[in-house]
Amino acid sequence: MLGRKMTRATVLAAALGLTLGLSAGPAAAADTIKIAVPSPFTGSAAGYGENVKAGVVMKLEEINAAGGVGGKKIEAVYLDEQCEPREAATVSSSIVNDPDIVGIVGHLCSSAHLAALPTYVREGIAAITPTATNTTISSKSKDEKGLTWSFRNVYRDDFQGKFLADYTDKVLGLKKVAVFYENNDYGIGLKEAFIKEAKALGLTVVGEEAYKKGDQDYTPQLTKIKGGAPEAMFIAGYYPEGALIADQAKKIGLNVPKMGADGFDNADYIKLGGAAADNTYLTAPFLVETAGADAKKFIDAFKAKYKRDMDWMSANAYDAAGMMIDAIAKVGPDRAKIRAYLAGIDSPEKGYKGVTGVNYFDANGDCLKPAYVKTVKDGKFVPAPKQMN
Amino acid sequence: MLEQQLVNGFTLGLIYALIAVGYTMVYGVIELINFAHGEIYMLGAFLTLSFISMGLPLPLAVVLAMLAAAAIGVLLDIVAYRPLREAPRLAALITAIGMSIFLQNLAMIIWGSRPLPFPRQALPAFFSEPALTFSDVTISWMQMLIYAVAVVLMVGLNLVITKTRVGTAMRALAQNQTAAALMGINVNRVITFTFALGSAMGAMAGIMVSMYYNTMYPTMGYLAGVKAFAAAVLGGIGSVPGAMLGGVVLGIAETLGAGYLSSPYRDGVAYAVMILVIIFRPSGLLGRAVTEKA
Repeated sequence: MLGRKMTRATVLAAALGLTLGLSAGPAAAADTIKIAVPSPFTGSAAGYGENVKAGVVMKLEEINAAGGVGGKKIEAVYLDEQCEPREAATVSSSIVNDPDIVGIVGHLCSSAHLAALPTYVREGIAAITPTATNTTISSKSKDEKGLTWSFRNVYRDDFQGKFLADYTDKVLGLKKVAVFYENNDYGIGLKEAFIKEAKALGLTVVGEEAYKKGDQDYTPQLTKIKGGAPEAMFIAGYYPEGALIADQAKKIGLNVPKMGADGFDNADYIKLGGAAADNTYLTAPFLVETAGADAKKFIDAFKAKYKRDMDWMSANAYDAAGMMIDAIAKVGPDRAKIRAYLAGIDSPEKGYKGVTGVNYFDANGDCLKPAYVKTVKDGKFVPAPKQMN
Repeated sequence: MLEQQLVNGFTLGLIYALIAVGYTMVYGVIELINFAHGEIYMLGAFLTLSFISMGLPLPLAVVLAMLAAAAIGVLLDIVAYRPLREAPRLAALITAIGMSIFLQNLAMIIWGSRPLPFPRQALPAFFSEPALTFSDVTISWMQMLIYAVAVVLMVGLNLVITKTRVGTAMRALAQNQTAAALMGINVNRVITFTFALGSAMGAMAGIMVSMYYNTMYPTMGYLAGVKAFAAAVLGGIGSVPGAMLGGVVLGIAETLGAGYLSSPYRDGVAYAVMILVIIFRPSGLLGRAVTEKA
């Protein structure tokens, strides 16, 4: 009964507010400031969404325990978009229509981010994505006046492709490479950046084959690749297919180092690939082992709280939330001012020092951060013995 | 390299053939394209995994999974298709698609949507070692096992169909269901047997695939089902030897297409071969030309 009475009272208050022309604005939320965290929390990508949420939760607890921002608590609104572009588009309009939400940490998937971005740009709310790596985002982050609304503290696919080619040449010293790519935006983007850099470095590309998501048999392509006698193979795709490719490559006697991008960074890669996962090198935005003192503290706190090892997505989300809150603290809960503040973080000197290193953005909202290399040894991810930065 | 591609294509083709016979047998008997057959193939793999994790030895787990899959196939017929036996054929076809989606999602609820590895410790270590090596061609023990299982199952299936009473009844049903019933054949019992046999073969294919590629996931039946269906059509739907031949032709076409033409168009090459055959031989490689029944 009390609930019903209260509902009635709320409705009355709202009606009153409407008749008064809403002059007071969202007075009810005066003691909290909201940020939106749109990510997949159900569906096949839900595991990734949980990682992002874990990072955001830690940052918020830390800030709110210290009294919040200007006496106000920061609250995150978690919105499930299942990594689906059409769900992301729906979620995006509910975010921009909530006047209490001042900024966004998300989306997780590039395709979802791209679907939601036009709404954010048009309505004017800044988003920092901790994980979306697609290159197209850079050209869609600006409004008509040339203001950037979408930022990311993760590197782009073309950077990863180029970086892996550099690593193959300069650190591993391998000169004949083959590329096996998933036939979609992610795989093709990685492949093209890798091949462009490989050719610039004078490497020989002895094979360039495609596969489809969900394929099981990769032996025809691998047999062809083996015929070119490569010294290394770049697998541009995700870990479920990557693990099978590694396994089948081993079975047909193609025992060369395998290169992978962030799509490989999952413990299931080793579980599915077994012994064949060994001798894989992959890019990582963040290495637990080479992190600074702040980061070590974060890693320990993460492990204590969630009883599992921290992953790079949580660290990036922790920093993305940190930047957003920093902006709110500096300029107040105002969407336009927050955007301007974030856009102003454009050099290492002005950069935000987080657990993942120094975060700052270029004119497109892209981050300029180094990459690290992990490798699989005896069924475990370990930092590669030689890094390149 | 060509020889190796042929060996790999042949292996893949035998697996398609094992699935395709299930399609073709059911079609031959009740003229239904059982789109849920790909899911039976998927369940074969997952059931084996579950039986192994209960601590059963591999051969027993495989046999139990085949029996369970046969039971699921029969249940599928009783629950979903038998009530529609007299309904327009389209109704049963749509029901089949519905059952396929249902079984896929059921598997996701039971085993999760992430790909799972086949339990390595259950397999003898030598399986992935080469069994035969001629110059640059390698055939692994796993491939040898697939050949052996496929040949034994297919020869056995042919014997069942041509030499046994129930096989004769199946053929009679394929020719004319009413006449067969008038001759005293228990139509529903023969159909049940057909579903059981076809499902067990499909499950075996799923088990072999999950062992060969060391992975299984709930949606694995979709693509395999479509390919096997194409193989059944290529060979002449309704013809069991046709399904076997169709599977092998499709597997080799796909492998050579990926290896020599263009890997992004791998599946396209396989389907192009099927379309070409159908244009020149509408009833498939070994199918008999029949006039459409009224």
